[in-house]
Amino acid sequence: MRARSIATEAKDHDRPAKSLRNLLVLDHSERSPHFAIVLRTILILLLFSGSCSFASGAEPEKSVIQIICASQQPVWDAPWRFDSVRRAGGSGFVIKGKRIMTNAHVVSWDRQILVKRYQDPRPYVAKVRFIGNDCDLALLEVEDETFFDGLEALNFGELPKVRSTVVTYGYPAGGEQISYTRGVVSRIEMQGYAHIGNRSYLGVQTDAAINPGNSGGPVIQDDNVVGVAFQGISGLENTGFFIPPPVINHFFKDIEDGTYDGFPQAGIRLVALQNPAYRRSLKLAGEDLGARVDSILPIPSTQQVLKEEDVIVKIGPYPLGSDGTILYQGNRLNGAMAFQEAQHGGSIPLKLWRKGEEVDVSLPVYVYQEDRSVGNQYGALPRYYVYAGLVFTTLSLDFMKTFGRNWADAANAELVYELYYRRHEFPNETRSEPIIMAAVLADPVNANLTVRSRTLVDRINGIRITNLEDVIKAFDTVKNDQHVIEYLPNHSFECLDRAEADKANLNILKTYGVPKDRRL
Amino acid sequence: MKYRFYPLLAGILSLAILCSATAAESNAAKPVWDHSLVLLDVTRKQYDYFQPWTKRVKTSHKMGLVLSGQEILTTADEMFDRTLVRIQKGGRGRWWTGTVTWIDYHANLALVTAVDEAFWQDLKPAELSDPASGAESFQIIRWREGKLETRKAEFNQFTVGTGHLSFVAHVELEVSAEIQGLGGGEPIIADSHVVGIAEEQAGNKCSIIPSSFIRPILEARKKGSYRGLGYFDFYWQPAENPASLKFLKLPGEPRGVIVIEVPSHPGLEPVLKARDILLSVDGFDIDIQGDYEDPSYGHLSLENLATRGKWAGDDVKFKIWRDGKPLDVTYLLPKADYSSTLVPDAVYDQEPEYLIVGGLVFQPLNDAFLQAWGPDWKRRSPFRLYYFNNQSPTPERPALVLMSQVLPDIYNLGYQDLKYLVVDQVNGQKISRLPELRDALRKPMDGFHQIQFMPSDSLRRLVVAADQQEQATRRVLQLYGITKDFFFATPPPTNTTTAAISP
Repeated sequence: MRARSIATEAKDHDRPAKSLRNLLVLDHSERSPHFAIVLRTILILLLFSGSCSFASGAEPEKSVIQIICASQQPVWDAPWRFDSVRRAGGSGFVIKGKRIMTNAHVVSWDRQILVKRYQDPRPYVAKVRFIGNDCDLALLEVEDETFFDGLEALNFGELPKVRSTVVTYGYPAGGEQISYTRGVVSRIEMQGYAHIGNRSYLGVQTDAAINPGNSGGPVIQDDNVVGVAFQGISGLENTGFFIPPPVINHFFKDIEDGTYDGFPQAGIRLVALQNPAYRRSLKLAGEDLGARVDSILPIPSTQQVLKEEDVIVKIGPYPLGSDGTILYQGNRLNGAMAFQEAQHGGSIPLKLWRKGEEVDVSLPVYVYQEDRSVGNQYGALPRYYVYAGLVFTTLSLDFMKTFGRNWADAANAELVYELYYRRHEFPNETRSEPIIMAAVLADPVNANLTVRSRTLVDRINGIRITNLEDVIKAFDTVKNDQHVIEYLPNHSFECLDRAEADKANLNILKTYGVPKDRRL
Repeated sequence: MKYRFYPLLAGILSLAILCSATAAESNAAKPVWDHSLVLLDVTRKQYDYFQPWTKRVKTSHKMGLVLSGQEILTTADEMFDRTLVRIQKGGRGRWWTGTVTWIDYHANLALVTAVDEAFWQDLKPAELSDPASGAESFQIIRWREGKLETRKAEFNQFTVGTGHLSFVAHVELEVSAEIQGLGGGEPIIADSHVVGIAEEQAGNKCSIIPSSFIRPILEARKKGSYRGLGYFDFYWQPAENPASLKFLKLPGEPRGVIVIEVPSHPGLEPVLKARDILLSVDGFDIDIQGDYEDPSYGHLSLENLATRGKWAGDDVKFKIWRDGKPLDVTYLLPKADYSSTLVPDAVYDQEPEYLIVGGLVFQPLNDAFLQAWGPDWKRRSPFRLYYFNNQSPTPERPALVLMSQVLPDIYNLGYQDLKYLVVDQVNGQKISRLPELRDALRKPMDGFHQIQFMPSDSLRRLVVAADQQEQATRRVLQLYGITKDFFFATPPPTNTTTAAISP
């Protein structure tokens, strides 16, 4: 199945995403036949349309905003360069405090954001005030506050019920005017969020048409916003998704201190505990409650509180079913939902079954950043270092996508393994920032290198490379006649004459228009 | 008149000569190969590794070349797991029962004979002749719908490639031919001599196992001195970068290749070390791309020198450059062995192994299992399973066992969706092979079997009841129509080596 997020510009929207199995998942589902990376193409929909009746008597479509964003992404295998400027349209809506809520993917990598009011020809310049790339939400401010004159802020409602009717508002592709589509809530469950690619949060599926351009638009029920339209699944008819109030409220709570931190992660693999023998072996009575901690990520705060083979019986106020789900507002949801109610730096009370006894603990939870390279990255430009025409940068999903649509097949298997598996299998050998030689800028000094590019770097001048700073240190501090660069796998290596490389370095940067030899 | 007559006469004569030559070639060739080429009909078992207890049957046709000594030469491909071999003369008529007298999957060669003496009447043994490097055109012959089909093939190159069934590299003849379906041992003819048999076809390019590779093997086999193919068990990289040779203190013109990795084997002191420069092999100088000048075929990869008339256990003389000095060393060719890798490349003439424990299905991880994903199995099989091909066996973990699937039963409730998990330990014992797993199940822990999987991004462990195992297994066998809860082959040799592959 291919998930799509919906935006008006098609080429923006093919984002392979790793299935969210790395943090808190119930993992008895069938694995992808190829590998754990589930390639889901996401269409980010920037939708804008609004039609719903308002208790205040206001016309909600007047509060639905058309957003036109000119964006420019970095080129991940030539990290000093940027792609051509792309212009895409999306939707948003006015909320209290003279702000516009939209999707993060509508405004990510922005160079210019223009917003337009309902049936008003004048564009206004806006800027991002807060952006949550994990939950795909953003708040915009408009430089000219007269923009908000006469506009009423939309209010938020509760999580809608399954089978209830909702209306989406937005400015999807296919026309210039606002569009309204009505549908029912088909399903409420945890969904992979395509914009970040490696996180799952609560999502609501509707059969209301949600198309490219709808992204960021409000989904309205009983005059209140009950969601922000954000993605669909290509190939499936009448299937759109919106971000529901629990996620939106978490975002608002997060930014109260003036900074967006993100959703915290428990850092555990929680699996169903339904086999009677397994339950007996843990001396666990009953068959309904309790899911098992199968493994724990190397997060010290989690490792201090939880142990493998702990059975979690209750998360906060939610009893945890033996299938790993909680009952949340009438919906059976993955237990991960309960952990996501906490804020970064907060804690969650857990009731455990450990070695035949019930134990109460408090689990501190934090935003987990160590796996950011396996998700889509935004905001921070890629780190790199260029020496003698050799371009070193960070191994990441964004880099892998430079191999093309079928990057998982095209890329060296060693890169896939390093990015997705080594951290789980050999945590003691894991490099904090695996470095690849992304390209070789051709010059006589490097003309005879056999290993040309897109290769994982193991050592330089004997120094094990764990991050970009190691690369710089290795070239700067060692004064042998030759630099020795070793690669993985099989320890192939190349040498550069140090004096010639030092001499050629600046000229190569100039020849290829590299403004600086590094970005750290 | 004369003026007009002579051209006409000349034209008639030319036509007559041309017709006569064509007829002569056709007539000369047909009787010879009619009696030297036979059709083989091979029936073999075909396994479904997703259901290793099931067997299907596949029949294929191949060509066989009659040799002296009542032997028929063909490729080993499609001859594995055979149940019946039949032989037909003249492309039609009676079928005779054949017997495989010798087969070597790494060399992709097999010899077949017919016990019935009457079969050999009217057959004329062909002779193998080495292909000459100057030959530009060839003929490929095969039986097709009762007639001998002859197609022209053009010379492309001599090259060194891995065999169709093996990781061992050897010299190959590559030709282009407008013909489909080659690869079943069809002889290739040059100047009325058989210079090789077809091994594989991709598009219009066809790989031929040349007679120069086949003949020494057959001769050595007759003498009893053939020990199987050997190979170079180390990794090397080209030495095209002068700075790297300078770093390794090699003076003079760039030459040789750089050894970058030598797999270690317990109890064996490696002859080569990483960062040795391999300068020559058996007196042949190695250039910076890893080629040597073959007296017969020009530039060929040094990998060919492991199979150029040498067998496993033979010595190969290396001249290397180590620590700024030249050094002569003797390298003992290891025997090519499918079980030497962590994920064996192939399992021939052996039914798939499996063990069913209360619906949990355990199987060895090998390429035969991965190939169940079809022709595109290298891309379609689970990445993590396929990636084990990139890892080397160790004394502690010479092979891998995976829980391939779960046949649902109340006994394994909660695990029914699990699949493709590589087993690390069972009841605290490390597991590399199925018999070890069976032994571990005899020692449950507190009445339970604890199965731990290799740490990865998937499930780590499960527990099942020990006292209900046998009953559950019987129930599963009955429900799913499986006759036996396990099949174990003879334990393979414990020798662990890896293939030499140039980067």
